[in-house]
Amino acid sequence: MYYPEPISKLIDSFTKLPGIGPKTAVRLAFFVLNMKEDDVLNFAKALVSAKRELTHCSVCGNITDEDPCPICKDTSRDASIICVVQDPKDVIAMEKMKDYQGKYHVLHGAISPMDGIGPEDINVPALINRLKDEEVEELILATNPNIEGEATAMYISRLVKPSGIRTTRIAHGLPVGGDLEYADEVTLSKALEGRRDL
Amino acid sequence: MHIEQLTLNNYRNYEGLDITFDDKINVIIGENAQGKTNLMEAIYLLAFTKSHRTSREKELIQWDKEYAKIEGRITKRNQSFPLEIIISAKGKKAKFNHLEQPRLSDYIGALNVVMFAPEDLTIVKGPPQIRRRFMDMELGQIQPTYVYHLGQYQKILKQRNAVLKQMQRNFHQDKSILEILTDQLISHAATLMEKRFVFLDLLRKWAIPIHHGISRKLEELEIAYAPTIDVTENDNKDKIESMYMNKFREVQEKEIERGTTLIGPHRDDLLFYVNGKNVQVYGSQGQQRTTALSVKLAEIELICHEVGEYPVLLLDDVLSELDDYRQSHLLSTIQGKVQTFVSTTSVEGINHETLKKAELYHVKDGKIVT
Repeated sequence: MYYPEPISKLIDSFTKLPGIGPKTAVRLAFFVLNMKEDDVLNFAKALVSAKRELTHCSVCGNITDEDPCPICKDTSRDASIICVVQDPKDVIAMEKMKDYQGKYHVLHGAISPMDGIGPEDINVPALINRLKDEEVEELILATNPNIEGEATAMYISRLVKPSGIRTTRIAHGLPVGGDLEYADEVTLSKALEGRRDL
Repeated sequence: MHIEQLTLNNYRNYEGLDITFDDKINVIIGENAQGKTNLMEAIYLLAFTKSHRTSREKELIQWDKEYAKIEGRITKRNQSFPLEIIISAKGKKAKFNHLEQPRLSDYIGALNVVMFAPEDLTIVKGPPQIRRRFMDMELGQIQPTYVYHLGQYQKILKQRNAVLKQMQRNFHQDKSILEILTDQLISHAATLMEKRFVFLDLLRKWAIPIHHGISRKLEELEIAYAPTIDVTENDNKDKIESMYMNKFREVQEKEIERGTTLIGPHRDDLLFYVNGKNVQVYGSQGQQRTTALSVKLAEIELICHEVGEYPVLLLDDVLSELDDYRQSHLLSTIQGKVQTFVSTTSVEGINHETLKKAELYHVKDGKIVT
């Protein structure tokens, strides 16, 4: 069961990826051995360039290959609205919707004292500086609807309130196109709390 | 509601067991350490997905086996449903009607069980966490949203305690995070209290007359909620929230000094009074037992009222702990309407007509012998 060193190194590297256990790592490593050399080279290059060429946008904190990122540079977008999200993946999700024309700010995490993560450990100071420099009218807090995300949203809204900038929190409740009967009790009671006049 | 059939695999000392039950009274007889309580525990687990005896789930799996499986077939509103719990090193799976329920709050409530074991006699005189656990478990059974709010509350509590610990070490830290977590905590705390008050109202409605009956009309039971703030049960959620707000402001310094949350539903208690005296402190053994019994019997009625059907009752080694009068009161209350499992070392000394009609199961070394 002893692998030659090059392959055992490759296996170890694969196991560092999320969702990949020892068996999958072995399978992937052996698959790489049978790949065309060009493909392997491209793969290796892609890995390195993803790491080297991608940086965090100095304005919004999103991952980008040019600084500032295309969204921050885009003058056709409404600079008076900033949507605050936890993760770069959330930006992609919002962009897929195509309805949002404002800018973003990526926090890379949420406040969680238990894990030693405070407001300084996520991208909050940069957001505050942005609000001082830019003409922002509304801040949409789109952090996740769990305890940490909620606490982060409340923290930011408290910080921003004195400046008079409008802060809003995204709604939670029933999914669109779903049946009421299939909703779980908790979601349903949240939806009931957030009901509005017609 | 009743259990028709139970199948155990690799569970505790049961390698394989397949057993059908009577829908009235089932008596499980056996010597010590043969598996009576294990059988009761299996039924309890089928209802709550948790054991009442241990939090280490590995103990439930038979030695050198990979997994333990508990299957049950229950009748609920005249329909038959299969339930299944699988416990392995990787975790736990709960299936209702063959469908896996990823969230426990979706599963709990499929089967309603009330357990009465010797340790339940300590509900009156034991430490407060026993009474809080009692409220949390019973409320969770009838109200799934309670389980959610309790879970959220406990998570926020952990975060808040972490902040207080940090502030304890470093006094100059920004207080805004603490204030936010306090706001979040209060909102769930008030919801929990409100739900507990409704529950207590219902509990009183049944427990007081039952206690009156068991004590031969000599004792008046009262149940009071002892919160860490001065709220009364008539206060609404907004009032409770604003009272917490004030109290938290008051104790803030003390909380930072101690590095932990000092007030909230996680520190509340239930008090029982008989004829105006606190039973926990001044009650006799007998009064404490009667109170525990009244509360348990009230719970059966309460679940029936909320769910529309009587729960399954588990009496684990508890009949022998009660005197004849209380025994017969218990047995005649449940007679004919509640499916009951009684575990005992012998049926001698239990002379009640209900037991004469009961189905008997002899347990020996993890097997049912006839």
